[in-house]
This record gives sequence, C-alpha cells and structure tokens, in this order.
Amino acid sequence: MNLARRDPAAGRRLQGAALALLVLWPLLQTAQVHPAALLDPSNLQVIGHFLAGFLPPETGAEFLHYLARATLETLAIATAGMALAWLLALPLAYLASAAGREQRSLNPVSRGVLTLLRGIPELVWALLFVRVFGLGPAAGVLALGLTYGGMLAKVVAEILESVDPLPAQALRLCGARRPVAILYGLLPQASKELASYTVYRWECAIRASVVMGFVGAGGLGQLMDQAMKMLNGGEAATILASFMLLVLGADALSGWLHRALDMPPAARASPWGWRSVGFVLAVLTGIAASVALLDMPLLGLFSTESVHSIAAFVTGFFPPDLSSDWLGKVLLGTWETLAISVVGTLLAAAAGLLMALPQWRLPWTGLLNTLRSVPELVWATLTVLAVGLGPFAGALALALHTAGVLGRLYAQALVNASAAPARALRLAGANGGLAFLYGTLPSAAPQLIAYTLYRWEMNIRMAAILGFVGAGGLGQLLYVELSLFHYAQASTVIIAMLALSMAVDQASAWLRIKMR
Amino acid sequence: MSFQLNRVELAHANGFVALQDISLQARAGECLALIGPSGAGKTSLLSVLGTALASRSGSATVLGATLPASSPSARRALRARIGTVHQAPPLPGRQRVVTAVLAGQLGQWPAWKSLASLAYPMDIAGARAALERVDLADKLFARCDALSGGQLQRVGIARVLYQQADLVLADEPVAALDPVLALATVRLLVDDAAARGATLVASLHAVDLALNCFARIVGIKAGRIAFDLPAREVDDALLHTLYASEGQELPTLAKPRSHTMAGAQHLVDPVAGCR
Repeated sequence: MNLARRDPAAGRRLQGAALALLVLWPLLQTAQVHPAALLDPSNLQVIGHFLAGFLPPETGAEFLHYLARATLETLAIATAGMALAWLLALPLAYLASAAGREQRSLNPVSRGVLTLLRGIPELVWALLFVRVFGLGPAAGVLALGLTYGGMLAKVVAEILESVDPLPAQALRLCGARRPVAILYGLLPQASKELASYTVYRWECAIRASVVMGFVGAGGLGQLMDQAMKMLNGGEAATILASFMLLVLGADALSGWLHRALDMPPAARASPWGWRSVGFVLAVLTGIAASVALLDMPLLGLFSTESVHSIAAFVTGFFPPDLSSDWLGKVLLGTWETLAISVVGTLLAAAAGLLMALPQWRLPWTGLLNTLRSVPELVWATLTVLAVGLGPFAGALALALHTAGVLGRLYAQALVNASAAPARALRLAGANGGLAFLYGTLPSAAPQLIAYTLYRWEMNIRMAAILGFVGAGGLGQLLYVELSLFHYAQASTVIIAMLALSMAVDQASAWLRIKMR
Repeated sequence: MSFQLNRVELAHANGFVALQDISLQARAGECLALIGPSGAGKTSLLSVLGTALASRSGSATVLGATLPASSPSARRALRARIGTVHQAPPLPGRQRVVTAVLAGQLGQWPAWKSLASLAYPMDIAGARAALERVDLADKLFARCDALSGGQLQRVGIARVLYQQADLVLADEPVAALDPVLALATVRLLVDDAAARGATLVASLHAVDLALNCFARIVGIKAGRIAFDLPAREVDDALLHTLYASEGQELPTLAKPRSHTMAGAQHLVDPVAGCR
C-alpha cells in the first residue's frame, strides 16, 4: 500500500489559492480599494455633515402627504410589476423547465429568452422605457415585469426540477399529461418554496421600484432622488424609514405565509377556507388597485403612433458601435464592473459571516435588516460621498447591502446545520471558535457557498448600474451615452452587460461544481 | 480515583428525572460496561461524566476536578482529558477523515496549530496511526461523506484513540457495526485503555459483549443502579430482572435469541472472545 507521508490534496489547494490570488489581485487593483479614504478627514466631514442632516427626520404635513402618495405608488409599481412578471413567468417556466418531462430535454429557445430578460438590469429597461413612454410609473412596471418575469421563470423552473421527481413520473406513467403531473406531483412539494420566493421577489421589487425612481419612474425613488440632490437629509431619513417599514412588512407577510402553508388542511371536501379565499381576494384587489392607481397608458402602447416611435427608438440602437476605440472603453468598463461585483461580494461575505456567528446573532439582526432594506443604489449615493467617485464606492455600496442579505441567509444556514459535530468537539475540550471551524462550518459550507455565488450573480447585474450615481463601471458609460442620445454606443454597453452577466452565470455554475 | 459520583440526580429540562441516587466510582485504569434496557439512563449517566449535563443534586468528581468546573477554561481543560465515542458519529460530511481525526486534539493543541491544521493537516502520522488501529488507514484522505456508516463510526473511535483521553466514555460504540467488527472494536477500546491506564466506561446494548470484554458490569434500570458487580458474578436471574420490561429475551450481539447465559457466552467463542 502506498502510504503518503504528505497530504495529497496540498498541491491542489496551493494551486487553487495561488490562482485565486492571481485573479483577485488585479481585481482589487481595479476596484481601487483604499480603506484609508473612509477615514479621510475631509470625506468624514462631508458624510458626517450629510448624516447629521438626517436629524431630525422631516415630519411636515405636506411632506408626509407626498411621502404617503409616493409609498403607495412604490407599492403599486411593485405589485403590478410582480403580476406582470408572473404572467410572463408561468408559460416561460413551463416551457423551460425539465420538470415533469419524461426525458430531460432543455428548451434552448425559452432558456435563451430567459437569459436575455434577466441579463439586462431592470434599471436599464426602465431607462429605455422612460425614453419611450416618458416619465412615470408605466416604465417602471414594464421594466420590473420583464426582468422579474425572467428571474421568476428561471427560479420556478429550477425549484420544480429540484424537488423529488418520482411522484410526477409515477403519474405520467399512468397516463397523466405533463401539466397535471406537475400540479399533482410536484406543486405540493414546491408550494412553500415558491410562495416564499414570490414574496421575497416582491420585496426585491419594492426595492427595485425605489431604485427606478432615480431614473424618473415614479414612487419613493423619485422623492429620494430629489432629497439627495438637494442634500435634504431630514427628508431622506423619513423616506428611508418608510422604506424599511415596507421591507419589514414584506418580511412579516412572508413569515405569515410560511406558517399558513404549514397548517394542516381542514377536514372537509373544499380546500377553500375563509383564510385562503380572503388571501386570494386580497391579492387580486391589490393588483387591481395598483393598476388603477398607476393610471398607466398601456393601451397607448398599441397605437400606430407609439409603435412607430418605439420602432424608431429601437432601430436607433442598431448597429451597435463596434469601433475599436469605443470597444476598448467598454472592455475597460466591463473589467471594472467585474471588479466591483467580486470585491463587493467578498467584502459582504466576510462581514455577513461575522454577523451571522451564532452567539452574536441577536443584537445584529437589527443591523442586518437595516443594511438589507436599503438598496445598493441608495447606499452608493452615500458611499460616493464617503470615499469619493469611483469603483471603490460601488464595491462598498454592494458590500453594505449584500452583507445584510448574506448575513441573514448565513445565519439561517448555520442554524440548520447539524449541531452534533460542534457539540462533540466542545465536549472534547475545544473552545467555541474551533468547534465552529471544525464542526459547524464544514456542514454549512455548501449552503454558504451556494448563497454567496447566487448573490454574486445578482451583484454583477447591480454593479453594472451603480455607475448611474458615479460609482464606476459600465453603468457610468451607459448613463452618459443615453443622456447624450448616443444610442449606438449605448447599445454596445448593453450587449457588454448581457455578455458579462452570462459569463458570470457560467463561472458561478462552474465554481459551484468545483467547490462541492 | 478516576471519577466518583455521590447520590447524583439528573432531571431533563422537561422535568423528566433521568437519574436518581447514582453513586458510582472507578479507579484509574478500570473498564466498566453499562447495560440496561433502552431509556434506563445509560446515556444520561455518560453525559454527567462527560460534563455535558449538570446534575441537579449530589456531588461529582471527575479526574480530580469537582463538577461543575470552576471556570470555562478549567472546564475546557477537564474536557480535553475526556474522550467520547458518540452513538451517531458527529462528523461533518464534507470534512476529510484526517481532519476529523486530528480534531480529537483540538482541546490540547494551541490555537495557531488548530487553525493551521485546517489548511494543512499538522499530524498526518498520528492520524494514520490511529486509523490503522481501526483498519481504515487507506481512508486517511477520503471525505467523510464517502464512507459507510460503519466506517464513519470507526473514524469516530479513531478520533478518541488519537485524543489519548484519561477517561473514555463510549455510548453504544458498536451499534452500527457487524458482530465480528463490533467485538474487535470493543476489544480495541479495552486494550487501549488498559495499555494507557485510562478509565473506560461503555454503554452496550449487547449483553454478551459486555460480559465477555469487561471486568465490571453496572446494570442500570429506570435511572437507578440495579447492580454493580464483577462480570463473573452477573447471572441469568439478574439479567432477566434487568431486562424484564423488554420481554423474555436478552439482547445479544450475534443472535437476537438467547435465553441463557451459557448461550450468550458461547456465541462469542467462534470469533475468539475477549477473555
């Protein structure tokens, strides 16, 4: 027997570490990480002055009236956008998913449509639709519907594929058609995850509709944009507070739905109780009220006039500007965007893990919720003040928001990991930290890695638009070119965004397999 | 004196009294087997000895330290000298066997060494030596999720061997192993303890295994000590009283059916029993 004296995995580990350093070092350079800027006195003065302006929050009756109106509008944009997204997602998911199929055949056409929808950030869609429909919520709803339709469809397809396929197969073998097999065999297993993902997406939609307000798509974001531009900290504080309330409300709703889906059904023929009927009615009324409130000229979409204007607008994007000069700039922006997303995600993973550590959890939940409920773009307006314009501000903004999200997900994963190994180590005299490293972390690692990679996929899309507020990358290029009506150049940037997000999806899938 | 329990009583959080009036002591180097029907309190007793659970009343001294330990660091120092073989091996699936075994010394190692060992195993020879004793040296660099249940259990035993504990507690250490392997493994634990002058307390489901391998048998029933005798003085009548709640048959290693002690002892012979 060949008795290895040395660890046979050491060489591979060393190679991996060296490779990671080799890739990360230039990325860190590009992201211009300079933590010292955080402590720079002049920057501190600016941000301190601005934050001091947050107090006292604005509570004037007139402002509160505006705020209530904008909050409702934001809710309505998110709700109507989600409804549209579901309309799109259902057929797409059905076509794209391998669930309930007897052979695993992937549908390249519908998968391609999904990638296209998801690959372009909602803010870019919004910016385009604002050009077509003018300022207002219609642009936001359409943008949300398209992007989130793509995301929902992908996730629904994957959730249906990830549950136990045997029940559906058994049904198909006794002659059931595919939709019926999915409804009877897969949906009962997946319903909880689908419900919580939908509510989570709705929460994201609320955040996104705020962000789209920054490009003129209505709601809280527009108000926030004005407040930020006038450096009116008091108004910004009140807006942020109402925003956090919305996000916490979505959280509570998600928890309630979870418990409701866990309840055993009543012992009678009809599955419809007052609770479920009430819930469905509430959802339908919510959607109807949202559409009514927003007063969208959607029918105008189909008039000859607007079809012409859309066509003219779209043809403006072709052909994309492929001159080597411009391509070079776009390539640089792409690299910078990649750097922002990687550095931001890594910073967030480190901070999130620290905040998710078991014994610290309670006092940190508040901080995590705050970090999480403020969208990246709003953080970016602050970090740009704190460390100056450039990619580092973007990476910091991503890190702040993502740390909140990851901290929460990590905490859940650590709670769900088996407690026995760490307990056994503590009984053998190991201290808490080592018991965590040797006992808990290995069991939770696959979950932690999956969450981190998943956030990276989201962050690459976000990094692409942080430039809108001056935080570097492709977004800055796109914003400038669109403002100057240089559509051919903008088109190149959008293609680059799409390619980048597809490449990151591939890389993330590869890493997931490598790190299993 | 390795440990001394004096009128110990243990109640679980839900109010269930798991142990009452337990007085038990062992000299260094002694090997005790705990037997008794399931739910009798064998695991609870091991938990008190292992400082996992604190008794409600009575006094306990383990390895010269009075329980509960005076400070967290004193408790860690005490725990580093107590090794536990768990009923279900508490090993993370993604961890490599070598790391899982080396984790036995986390209580003794300085922090820097424990941290460095995550990047590169710090004592490959030691881990291999421990694994060789359970016949798993070829799995040194395998991942725990690639092992079978029985192999995993033996990795857990290798970890305790590697820990070199002064007091070894084993909670049904061989429940997942086949009869031949179970016997060899129990013998390994007994021999290791004898060679190092360490104390071994093992709870065993199989009565024949306990009688053949251990000099001293402690019968536990309903949270109390039913008897505490040298193995040769434990007779059929005692055992049938102990297991009365589980029917007429005594649980043994090789066969579920064995009505007499003679039968039970005979069963171990083909694979060369402990004595």
